[in-house]
Amino acid sequence: MSNGRRTRSTRARRGVELLGALLFLFAVSLGSAAEVMPAKPAGYFNDYANVVSPADALRFNEQLAQFERETSNQVVVAVYRKMESDSDIADYTRRIAQAWGVGQADKRNGAALFVFIDDRKMFIQVGYGLEGVLPDITAFDITERHIKPLFRANDYTGGLAAGIDLMMKAIRGEYKGDGKTNLEKKANGNSGLGVLPILFIILFIYLATRRSRRRGWGYSGGGGPFIGGGWGGGGGGWGGGSSGGGFSGFGGGGGSFGGGGSGSSW
Amino acid sequence: MKKVAQLFGTVSLAVAFVFGLTGCGSYNRLVTLDQNVNKKWADVQSVYQRRADLIPNLVNTVQGAANFEKSTLTEVVNARASVGQVKLDPSKAPTDAAQLQQFQQAQGQLSTALSRLLVVSENYPQLRATEAFQNLQAQLEGTENRISVERNNFNAAVQEYNTAMQRFPTNMLNKMFGFKERPFFTANAGSENAPTVNFGNFGTAPAVPVPPPSAAPATTPAATP
Repeated sequence: MSNGRRTRSTRARRGVELLGALLFLFAVSLGSAAEVMPAKPAGYFNDYANVVSPADALRFNEQLAQFERETSNQVVVAVYRKMESDSDIADYTRRIAQAWGVGQADKRNGAALFVFIDDRKMFIQVGYGLEGVLPDITAFDITERHIKPLFRANDYTGGLAAGIDLMMKAIRGEYKGDGKTNLEKKANGNSGLGVLPILFIILFIYLATRRSRRRGWGYSGGGGPFIGGGWGGGGGGWGGGSSGGGFSGFGGGGGSFGGGGSGSSW
Repeated sequence: MKKVAQLFGTVSLAVAFVFGLTGCGSYNRLVTLDQNVNKKWADVQSVYQRRADLIPNLVNTVQGAANFEKSTLTEVVNARASVGQVKLDPSKAPTDAAQLQQFQQAQGQLSTALSRLLVVSENYPQLRATEAFQNLQAQLEGTENRISVERNNFNAAVQEYNTAMQRFPTNMLNKMFGFKERPFFTANAGSENAPTVNFGNFGTAPAVPVPPPSAAPATTPAATP
């Protein structure tokens, strides 16, 4: 009897402990919920704070996209109103850059400039593969001595232009590109694979209609024009997909970051 | 009777076969994880080394400043010397928790000494205004960031390895092949939380996220099923 009561009371205590643990976990998850990890951006230059004119933003974006085509280095710029995290800026922005996968996975050649306008803070994150050419001193020099004075004068466009320019200058010689961004490579790969099934289908239809014609089943003459139409349509599609004049999208290559880089506040 | 024995034999053979297969898989996986831990350990060592390498430069720069407080400087130099004395194999992660503790303590003392030096430097605005000092600040700061990243990576690798090792049936291989649990870096009171080598460039000190990966790291073997 007393034995039974004891097990019941220990069971109750265990229940309380479990509840406590759950509450603790909940509190922890609430605590970390205060942080917002921004979603992967669509472009290389992303002005979420509207401090740069759309024309300049597009220009910066194309500049950085072209830079990836030439060097395979990925440089991403993200301008936010404020930091949505309690962490230190170095830690927070490193995790963001890592999550976005800036840089190619094998070369780890990504760099990202984060600016938080209302916090008056910025940070350049440098991927492992670029730490040699863009060491902390250089990153610090760029933010502290080139961007900061312009930001202080409220010239955000000028500051960002200088930052982008200097970052590209520092890392240009390190790797060689193959003329395409990640997204362009991906798009090409897809259409390359896409051609084969289409060819097979066309061949199949062609053979089927030929055979049916020979055997004298219904479809007399129907195959020819259809095949022709298919070819024509496909050709048009390929032409359209190859080069767009407007916005170049950013596709992270899976680069990684180990805490390299530096920043300033203004 | 014979049939039963035959059946038993077949079944036990099949069981042995299956276990042998999973055993091979688990063994290979453990080896991979073990290598990963060693690699992460090498990364940790190299970032700590990077910090140690910065110190002579820092000392020179600070010494140049007019009547800089000598005691904080000596402290940094001494701490660096004692870091150099804790020699651990850079290519193989330690299996001895006490050894890692010792290493961590020495590095922690250096962190404390460095942050003190930088706090004291606040009193020397002329020094802080020099480009050389600012550059050193940026480098030291970056090094502290790297240390925290690599330590976290190391802890994650150790956790993965330890977890894999303690799982059934892998845990039966441990004795056979001498796999040992690996100790973690722990956030020890005071010293390791000290990398406040944040020189007022940014508002807050880097919250060095070195979470104790489990309540009682490494020393308590998990209950084996």
